[in-house]
Amino acid sequence: MREAEAGDAPRFLARLRAGESAAFEELVITYQHRVFGVALRMLGNAAEAQDVAQEAFLRAHRGLSEFRGDAKLSTWLYAITSRLCLNRLATGERRMWRQGEDTLLRLAGGETPEEALERGELEVALHRAIAELPEERRIVVVLRDLEGLSYEEIAQVLDLELGTVRSRLHRARADLRDKLERFLP
Amino acid sequence: MTCHDARERLSAYLDDALAPDERRDVAAHLGGCAECRRELAGLEHTVALLHRIQSVHAPVGFVDRVLEAAEPRPWYRRVGAAMFLPFSVKAPAGATALLMVALLAVHVFQGTPALQQSARRLEPAREQPAAPPPAAVQPSLVREPPVDEPRPERKARETASDAEQERLKDVRRRDSDARPAGAPSPYVPPPAASTMPQAPASAAPTPATPAPPPAGSPPAASAPPVVSAPSVTSAPRTAEPRPAPAPAAPPAPAAPAPAPGAKAEMPAESRQGDSRGQSLDAARSGPSPRLAAKRAAPADVVARIAVRDREAAEAELATLLGRVGGRETGRRQEEQTTVIEAIVPQSRYPEFTQGLGALGTWRLEADRPDLPSDVRVILRLQ
Repeated sequence: MREAEAGDAPRFLARLRAGESAAFEELVITYQHRVFGVALRMLGNAAEAQDVAQEAFLRAHRGLSEFRGDAKLSTWLYAITSRLCLNRLATGERRMWRQGEDTLLRLAGGETPEEALERGELEVALHRAIAELPEERRIVVVLRDLEGLSYEEIAQVLDLELGTVRSRLHRARADLRDKLERFLP
Repeated sequence: MTCHDARERLSAYLDDALAPDERRDVAAHLGGCAECRRELAGLEHTVALLHRIQSVHAPVGFVDRVLEAAEPRPWYRRVGAAMFLPFSVKAPAGATALLMVALLAVHVFQGTPALQQSARRLEPAREQPAAPPPAAVQPSLVREPPVDEPRPERKARETASDAEQERLKDVRRRDSDARPAGAPSPYVPPPAASTMPQAPASAAPTPATPAPPPAGSPPAASAPPVVSAPSVTSAPRTAEPRPAPAPAAPPAPAAPAPAPGAKAEMPAESRQGDSRGQSLDAARSGPSPRLAAKRAAPADVVARIAVRDREAAEAELATLLGRVGGRETGRRQEEQTTVIEAIVPQSRYPEFTQGLGALGTWRLEADRPDLPSDVRVILRLQ
């Protein structure tokens, strides 16, 4: 986790469930980068990622009263976000976002390929390699290697068996290794 | 363990996510298989590359957009936000609005005696500890020139009280000596009718509020529940509606004295010292002539009595007053309170206070160090 899970204090949860706006604001501030990060890695397009991230928080807002607290807030938010991303990737809903296929290969913030080039060949290659992974492998590697979740948390987020998480992660990393071979020693 | 089995587990092995026995097996296999070790190294480097990816940040304004979508602001706030966006518009508009509100407030307040009255009634209900010294609260309340007394009457009182005034100065001096240096006691003698028009500046502390002395005023808090002679600073106008009591209580006549000429004569120290007198004045003097007519003469004692049954208490109080030779001089019904003004002879005052104790729990809110021979009391039955 990039930030402490300060938000999971029982009092904070109680405030959230009670619908306190300040608590919800705190929640968004705390988790905005993580939620947006997952969406961006999964969708490869900043505008679409922002759309999905916002939708994730809105769903959280509507569902807060039912949040049971048996999972961490972050896990719950990751689950909502992952589901939204995978759904969107699975449907034709996102075609409107994809005019110009190479948006998928760009970083956040409307970067052009030239700009991306300046940021270094490695990084571009990394993002391209991640973007090219099959979706169900991409989400696992994003949650594990970019977001730092444990195997158990990933299993919870994606509602998968631990063994499935393990093997998908292995395949994803092996794919990446093959694609990034020239950067390896 | 075959190479295939081992490679399936290499990723988890890297993450230390294998069960102990699995881990042992993989380690054993790696020890004897260079191919799998290379495979492991490749995965390890790949993960290291992934960790070099910088974390992303949500775009600026993302939080606001989410909050806006989650809990749309009411239309008036959106309109307000749109209206006041540019500072060049916001600043003057804000300033104008502020000014207009201030003017309106003054206008409304001046125009409605009921409001003034209610402001005054609220005051006594406040607890002693918090109220600022009158100087802080009053300025806006004194705009309306109080009583325009007929001059002859004032003259009469002036002359009558010259000697008394000397005596009072002494009392005040003593009073002020006994007071802590920094005590908040912005006393200004009640302004004479002639000085009234300039009231806002010069008469800032003119008490517009009744009963309890301002919280900060130390004497009120610490004073013994004894009452003092000098109705010292009583405002001239307050005596007007009640010709009878004024002469009866010896010090009372002194009151008017400070008014016309006294402002200049009054030594600074006595002003400072007299926050008690002033706060008691506060209890009785009103800023407007209309109200002054309703106000009682200066009270020497203000007490609050918590009773169970107000009506019964009122009856008992009437009996008590009769017993100690006092009389009721005024009565006002408020929502939760009956305010009774009465005069009690000083000689019977202790007996009277004992009687009060029988009515209910009572608390002294203001009093004087010495009592005049006719003690003027305000009782709030609650």
